[in-house]
Amino acid sequence: MPNNPDTEFLQEYDIVVIGSGPAGTTAAIFAAKNGLKVLMVDKKQELGAPIQCSGAVSHNALEQAGVFPSLEFILEAIYGFAIYNAKGERKIVDYRTIKPEEYGTQQGCKPLGYVVDRRRFDRYLATQAEREGATIWLKTEAINYRNDEDGHCTVELKKFNETIRVKTKVVVGCDGVQSQVGKWAGIKTHIKLSELASCLQFVVDGVETEGLLEIITGHQWAPGGYAWVFPKGHGYAEIGLGITRTMCTENAQTYLDHFIKNSFFKERFKNCRIIEIQGGGVPLAAPLKIQYANNLILVGDAARHVNAITGGGIHTALSSGKIAGEFLASLIKSGKPANENNLKGYQDEWLKAMGNNMWKLYRVKRKIFETADITQRDEQLFETMSNYFSPTSEYKKI
Amino acid sequence: MKAKAVVFEIGWNACIKCGACVAICPQEAGFVSNFDTIAVNTPCDIACMFCETVCPVSTITHRVFSLPSGILDSK
Repeated sequence: MPNNPDTEFLQEYDIVVIGSGPAGTTAAIFAAKNGLKVLMVDKKQELGAPIQCSGAVSHNALEQAGVFPSLEFILEAIYGFAIYNAKGERKIVDYRTIKPEEYGTQQGCKPLGYVVDRRRFDRYLATQAEREGATIWLKTEAINYRNDEDGHCTVELKKFNETIRVKTKVVVGCDGVQSQVGKWAGIKTHIKLSELASCLQFVVDGVETEGLLEIITGHQWAPGGYAWVFPKGHGYAEIGLGITRTMCTENAQTYLDHFIKNSFFKERFKNCRIIEIQGGGVPLAAPLKIQYANNLILVGDAARHVNAITGGGIHTALSSGKIAGEFLASLIKSGKPANENNLKGYQDEWLKAMGNNMWKLYRVKRKIFETADITQRDEQLFETMSNYFSPTSEYKKI
Repeated sequence: MKAKAVVFEIGWNACIKCGACVAICPQEAGFVSNFDTIAVNTPCDIACMFCETVCPVSTITHRVFSLPSGILDSK
């Protein structure tokens, strides 16, 4: 960015959040709620689109982040899991029968979680951020940032073709797995091909579901990942999979086609009609070792805050966003400079709250996928998935 | 001697805008098209082809592009 001392800044904010997915909006909500002047920008015109996510999130995750489970974004309530091995044998973890006093449709009980419409969910969260006082600019692309001598920084934005420079104390990079913000600051964000799942999913009509998230393991169906069938509300379902491309020779589309036509679900799927096609890259990787720089932090997928076993990222994004928003409010209100020494505190808090467990999950995942024998690997993944979703799982909070 | 780079091409008809190609790309910031895919009009001198590999619908291809001598050495 050109360093022009004559630049007239149109706006000045305490923080500028780049990206308005679950991580960015939650960071904006908690920063604004705690008194910061917040600008959140997103280059899209429609939040949450194109959908790159299956949309599963636990009730607990929403509750922790203070998000009311609104019908505005919920597509379907879920009550448990069905984990399948490669042959189609399944283990059911249905909380309606495990904890009937807590989970279910009867009065006084709640769902275990939800499948949400990401377009409506992201828009709902952005609305909450705005109601807390954050300013939101859509069609606004973040181009670059520069550390200034006064301890602040300048962000260059392009909004409806107009270049705008904004002065701020901290840039919060929430621009997802494709993050460019981390690269600006020279943070090591590179992800290995062996740790980025290539995902494809179809929203379909004509497939019955039973209030469970169905997870199908087995190298023959989804090498280096798993396949899924999720309820999607109004009689729709989502059939998808994620694969690791270093563990196979074909693309995700070929595997999804194979799964639909040839798996033990082929009768169930034979009349399904595809009504939406979505995809994404999901980092089944370790969290970034360094998630901060001078005047900059990374949150959510941009920092690899993704569950390496399940690939789930909404819960971790919401939790991380809350940690980031509250931390930045505390730091900035204290008057301390937003340099890397002080911003390290964000990562420390995140590690303590959830990051150390995420590192553990990553190590478990790596051990499974380093197993050379495919039968053994399949068994390990099935067991790990089954245990992960059980009520006694040590990881259930992430 | 001319160094070799590649220029990526996207079959837009099949692209599902999943962003996996950008996520895997080891290039510096900004190697992105206007449609949030890997850059299509800029030579890539890394040429790891990970973007092509990770694409769930295999809609990224490339053509080899010769850079003038010294371009890669200066990077």
